[in-house]
Order: sequence, then C-alpha cells, then structure tokens
Amino acid sequence: MEGSPGLRATEDSAMGRPSTLLEVEDLHVSYGGVRALRGVSLTMPERGIVAVLGNNGAGKSTLLRTISGVLALEGGVVDKGAVRLDGKALTRMDPADIVRAGVVQVPEGRRVFAELTVEENLRAGGLSSKGRANKAAARDRAFDLFPRLAERRTQRAGLLSGGEQSMLAIARALMSEPRVLMLDEPSLGLAPQVVERIAEIVRRISEQGIAVVLVEQNAAMALEVADRAYVLEVGAVTLHGSAAELAASDEVRTRYLGVATEDADAGLRTPQHGEATDRRQPHDLVVEGVTVRFGGLEALSDVSMEVAAGSTHAVIGPNGAGKSTLLNVLTGVYRASSGTVRYGDHVLTGRRPPRIAAFGISRTFQNIALSPHMTVRDNLLLGRHRHTKSGFVSAGLRLPGARREEAAQAELISRVADLLDLTEKLERPVFVLPYGDRKRLEIGRALCAQPSLLLLDEPVAGMNVDETQRMADAIVRLREALGISILLVEHDMRFVMGLAERVTVLDFGRRIADGTPEQVQGDPEVLAAYLGSHSASKEDSA
Amino acid sequence: MNQFLELLVSGLSLGGVYALIAMGFVIVFKATNVVNFAHASVVMLGAYLVAIWHDGLGFLGAVLAAAVTCAAVAALIDTLFVRPLRRRRGGVDTLAILTIGVNIVLATELTRRVGTDILPTGAPWGSATTTFLGLTIPQTRVASAIVAIVLMGAFYAVFKFSDWGVAMRSTASDPETAALMGIRLSRVAAGAWAVSGFLAAIAGVFFTSFPASGVSTTTYLVALTAIPAAVIGGLDSTAGAVVGGLVIGVAITLTAGYQDELSFLGRGLSEVIPYVVLLLVLLWRPSGLFGTPETSRV
Repeated sequence: MEGSPGLRATEDSAMGRPSTLLEVEDLHVSYGGVRALRGVSLTMPERGIVAVLGNNGAGKSTLLRTISGVLALEGGVVDKGAVRLDGKALTRMDPADIVRAGVVQVPEGRRVFAELTVEENLRAGGLSSKGRANKAAARDRAFDLFPRLAERRTQRAGLLSGGEQSMLAIARALMSEPRVLMLDEPSLGLAPQVVERIAEIVRRISEQGIAVVLVEQNAAMALEVADRAYVLEVGAVTLHGSAAELAASDEVRTRYLGVATEDADAGLRTPQHGEATDRRQPHDLVVEGVTVRFGGLEALSDVSMEVAAGSTHAVIGPNGAGKSTLLNVLTGVYRASSGTVRYGDHVLTGRRPPRIAAFGISRTFQNIALSPHMTVRDNLLLGRHRHTKSGFVSAGLRLPGARREEAAQAELISRVADLLDLTEKLERPVFVLPYGDRKRLEIGRALCAQPSLLLLDEPVAGMNVDETQRMADAIVRLREALGISILLVEHDMRFVMGLAERVTVLDFGRRIADGTPEQVQGDPEVLAAYLGSHSASKEDSA
Repeated sequence: MNQFLELLVSGLSLGGVYALIAMGFVIVFKATNVVNFAHASVVMLGAYLVAIWHDGLGFLGAVLAAAVTCAAVAALIDTLFVRPLRRRRGGVDTLAILTIGVNIVLATELTRRVGTDILPTGAPWGSATTTFLGLTIPQTRVASAIVAIVLMGAFYAVFKFSDWGVAMRSTASDPETAALMGIRLSRVAAGAWAVSGFLAAIAGVFFTSFPASGVSTTTYLVALTAIPAAVIGGLDSTAGAVVGGLVIGVAITLTAGYQDELSFLGRGLSEVIPYVVLLLVLLWRPSGLFGTPETSRV
C-alpha cells in the first residue's frame, strides 16, 4: 500500500498524461439571474491534491455545490457546461447518486449533525455504502485517522470543539469511501495549530489514494499541501498551475499570501481618537470574577477585565477558550453562575438581552445572521427596530411624525453605509453579496441601533488578506467617526494586535494574560497556549 | 379520590392515543418541515377503512390493512403534492396551506361516504371494564394504553438505532448536509409520512371505539384535537408529542368526568379544553414545552 501511490504516479507521468478522474468543463452557473460561475474548467487527476483558491464570493462554494448536485437547494441553476466523473456526466444527477458514484463533499462550516452522537454522525456518512463489514472497516479507519473521535464516540457532536467538529466532518465524509473528497474551507475559524493538523490529515487522506479537492482561503496552507492549484476570481479561473509555481508567482504572493505588504501593518494601526461626536457617551465595561458552568463543565472561571470607555479592546484565545461564552454573558444570552458585569452604573448580569441592548450595547454574530432575501437597506432598517417609535397605524397613515422619523432613519442608514463602504450596494439583496460585504453589513446593522459599545464576534474569521484589511479600515473609520467602545473577539492575532489598545487572553476559560498588545505578545504563557508552540502541538496530537 | 384516579388513568391511556397522532405530526414536521393539517383526515380514513373492512378481514386484519393503506396514502400525499412544491422551494406556509386543502378534500369525501350513519369498527373490547388495583377502567383504555406503549417503544427503537432513524435525524438536523452525505431526502420524507399515516390509522381505531360508537362525521374533528397536543409539546420534539398527548388526554377526561361540577363553564367543555390548554401553554412557552425556540446559534 505504502509504495503503490508513488509507483502509480511514475507510471502516469511516464505515459505523459495522468488520467483524469473528475473534470469540470466550461461551467456556467447563476442564482436567480446573478451569475456566479462564468466558464470554469478544471481537471482532477486520479490522485493527488488540487487546491482551489479565491476570495469570498469568487464562486468556490458554488463550484463544489454544482459538483455535488445540491445547487438547486440554494436556488442555483447550471446554465452551461458539464461535470464528469470518469467521463460520465454528473450534472443532473441526484446528490445521493453522486455520493454513490464516489464524489463526496465536506461542506463549509463543518455542519456536523449537532444532536447526533459522534458515532451516529459517522453512521450517517456511511449510509450510502453497502455491507456491514465495509461500514465497520470504514469506521475503524476513521477512528484510526482521528483517535480523538474514538474517545468521544458517544458524545453529542454539538458539544465538540470547533477543531474536533472539523475532524468529525471530514471523517463523516470518508465513511462513504469516496474516490474524490472535496473540502470546503476546512481551516475556517480554526486556531493556527489546528489548521496545521488539518493540513497533515489532508496529506494522509491523499496518501490513502483518495483524490482531494481543497477549497481554501488560507492560501498558505493550501499551497503547502496541494500538487496543483486553481485561482478563482469573480466566477472564472484566472490562474492555474502547479502549487509551487503559483506559490512563487507575484500575483498569488501579494493577493493571497499577504507577502510584500509591509505597509499593511502600518495601515492597521489605529490613528488617534477623533473627537467623540454626538451619540450617547460610552461607559467603562467592568467584568468581575465571572464564572459560567454548563453542567459540570466550567466554560469560564473567574474572569475579570475592563474595557475603558471609548477604547478598542480585544479578547483572544484558541478554540474553546470561552470567548463566545464571555460575549454571550455580556449580552445576556447566557447567565453567569457567579460574578458581575457592569456597564457604567448599570449591572448587566441577570438582565435579559433586550434590556442590555437598551443600555447601548450591540453585537454581531460569528455566523452571519442576516436575512438573505432582503436588501442591504432593509437589513439595516431591521437594526433600527428598537428606535422606531411610530407604530403600525401612524406609519400606515403616513402621519407627519412618522414621516419625520422615516427621513431621520434614511439619513442614519446612508451614514452607516458610507462608513462601512456599502453605499453602492444598498439596494442589492444580501444573498448576492460576497462574504466580506456581508460581515460589514452585519456590523452596520448593529450600528444602526446607535450603540455606545459595539461587540464584534470574530469579524474577520475566514477572510483573506484583502478583506481583512477592508474590515480593519472600516473599524478604524467608525471608531473615529463615532467614538464608541469596541470589544473584539478574534482569532486573527495580527488583526487584533494592530487594532486594539488592550488585549485579554483566555485559555480553557481562564484569563491567562491582560495588557497592551506588546505585553501580551511577549507573554510566554500566551505563546504556548495560543500560538501553538511545538511542545503544545505534540501533546495535542498524542 | 377513586373517581379522580380512574379518570387520571383513563386520561393517560387516551393521551397515549393522542400521542400517536401527535408523534406522526412531529415526525413529518421534522423530516419535511411541513405542518401537516391533512393528518386529521388520515386518522379518519384509517377508522373508516377498519369499519368497512372488519367484516371481511376480521378486526385485526382490518386494522393492519388500514394502517398499511394509510401509510401508503400519506406517502402518496408527500410524493404527489408536497415534493414537487418542495423541489421548487415552496415555503413552509405554502406547504401548510396545501395540506389544509388536502385535508378538506379527503375529509369531505369521507363525510360524504359516512353520511348520517355511525359505522362500528368491530373492536372486540366494547364497553366492558376491568378492575385493576381497585380502579374500574374500561377495557378500551387498557387496550389503547398497551398499543400506544408498544408502538412508542418500537418507534423509539427504530428512530434511535435503525439506519432509517439515523437518516431521518440527520435530515431533520440539516437537510443539505444530509444530501451531501448521500442520504436520499425524498425517501426519508416519504418514509416519515408513511410512519405518520400508519400511527394515525391505529389511533383512529381507538377514537372510534368505546365510548364512541363508531366512525361518524365528527371523527375528524376529534382527530384535529391532536394537533394542539403536538404544538403543546413543541412541533419539533417527539418526546414533546408524547407529553403533549398525555396532557390533552388527561385534560379531556378530567373535564368530561367532572362536567357536572364544571357546569358553570357551560356544557361540552371537554371538546374545547385542548385548545384552552394550547393557548395557556403557548402564552407561557411560545415554542411548546420541549420545542426548540426559533433562534440560530450565537
């Protein structure tokens, strides 16, 4: 087994042309008239790893959806072109038959069946394969590849950490014994050391003789493991070649690897505060000894921190450190088992989310929570809901008060759109927007409530260098213009270091450091826990 | 006190019957996102088929044949009407209204056939009672309790351990990902409808045997009161359906049993009590007792 892939590869190259397993030819796809793919062609040889790189909105997920036959579930249509496996057309086949033909996809965002146990998730992945013995063997291989899953086999998948869920999603797809495994952004939202492990796993899967299509924004990781790569931009392939060639090309280096943009760091630095303009005054946010328990599990233990009025503060930490839990305590979604949170003179602990919002605290979500079929403007208006005074009747009769309010709304919305670089897109439905725009729109919606403290949950998760920079610019702009406090929860270290005045680091629910970015960056405990020093990653894989 | 206990036990066993209907309702909702109002007329169809077939097939044979037929009819409703709409991305509201239409057509045809008659179902238990721990319980309630417990147990096992159960739960949790894993959504959907039809027919038999004297035009109105049971429990929770069914069963039996004491509220309170309970529960918990509130992960 060990020697055969290599042998096969030399055979193929000796013949001069490796045989094609999966072929996409001149594929055109649209969603309700909006074109998403415009003539994409690519070929996947019988073995090896092919990477597909590109920004959010470039059409990567659409490509995978088309290959898997689930395009119609999202309202997409193939206008032209074909997908073939072994020369046989997959287009128009049922998704279940495509899996049976040997092409399986790990969807973006993991999407494990949260209510099912680990073992049941694997079983669901293997329903298409035949024979008890086959299924048992596939499951053993999965546990072999992911020993962690074997330990947690009877746990509900929803309780796994982000990294473990990624592994479960991959293992579940492998249960169907595919010939082609397609991974949609497996590294999305994961800490660096987990990304490294995913890369290692992709390599091992490829060594087992399974062809891998790796769709990634993390170009560095993808180009490191892939043999060949395609770059997708606005629905078309703009570059393709061997991974090494692409990694060396200037275009890829600047646009996807973030090399040669030394001034980016400078750009991320926050300029001095502009004067705080109108709006309600921000207050100090004080978190004191907050502990949160779920059953026997302590998600946060005795965490204290302080966000000074008008400052930008970041909370960072690896997956499962308790960052989202902290945010949920601040917004009243979760209840603290002990400890207090105060915002100015108000005690937030024990209050329900609408009350807390009324104190001028707004948040965004890690998973985008927008209404996809409404326009950008309407989504922003939703954020005004709490401030709309005219009722149904007065608005319906267009009484003067209601009309005045409408004009003020429109003014505010255009200002917010301007700050977030969304002005040209106000009338577009959300589902046609690329990811980066949606994330900024979500911030816009939170801003429409005119908060004095804005909580941002992983605003740049899954963004490339370009989009990250635009997000950073937007945050700097709105802080200058509005003078509000901002609390950022983030993975992306560089982003945080450039933007925040103070950083709090969490690990396993404990606060392990707190200080200026420089102080925190140098803290040995932070380096070990967060950045994944070698000793830590070894322990992890053992 | 004895009267109370007798009513309580009767209520629980009647609740088991409601639970069977409510479970079917919930399974269909979970697997296909359809609020299936046609369910009530399928209950009546089951009872009607037993009434016209029991002479030829015997009672048990007729029940089995009716259950299988109702399973097929429910699966057919899914395949013929619901699936084409779902494929073209019909909304939850459209699908629910579609099932109201199907319900009216089916119920109208059944009432036309039944007419002014009351068709006996030939159930062997009639009005006889059994004495058990000093409590006098109608045999029909004993039978319904046993059947409901056996069916719920069987259903739980299938749901929990079979391939179909895993496929069904995966689909309920995330249909697109289930499709990506090779699960045939249309098959899972038809299966869920068939199970709901099967359970509905069995429940129909108990609704139309003692104290009712057979299938009449009101049968489907009685079956309709199982929908509050499903909603009370939470539309997406099978355990909730069981609890909701029991709550409704006990509420109906108690209000009927104490109707003299409750006469200041007017006669026939037991007919509206399911809806009263429904309103009270929903005011307190808008997603039902065990339902998942409409929120996304935060």
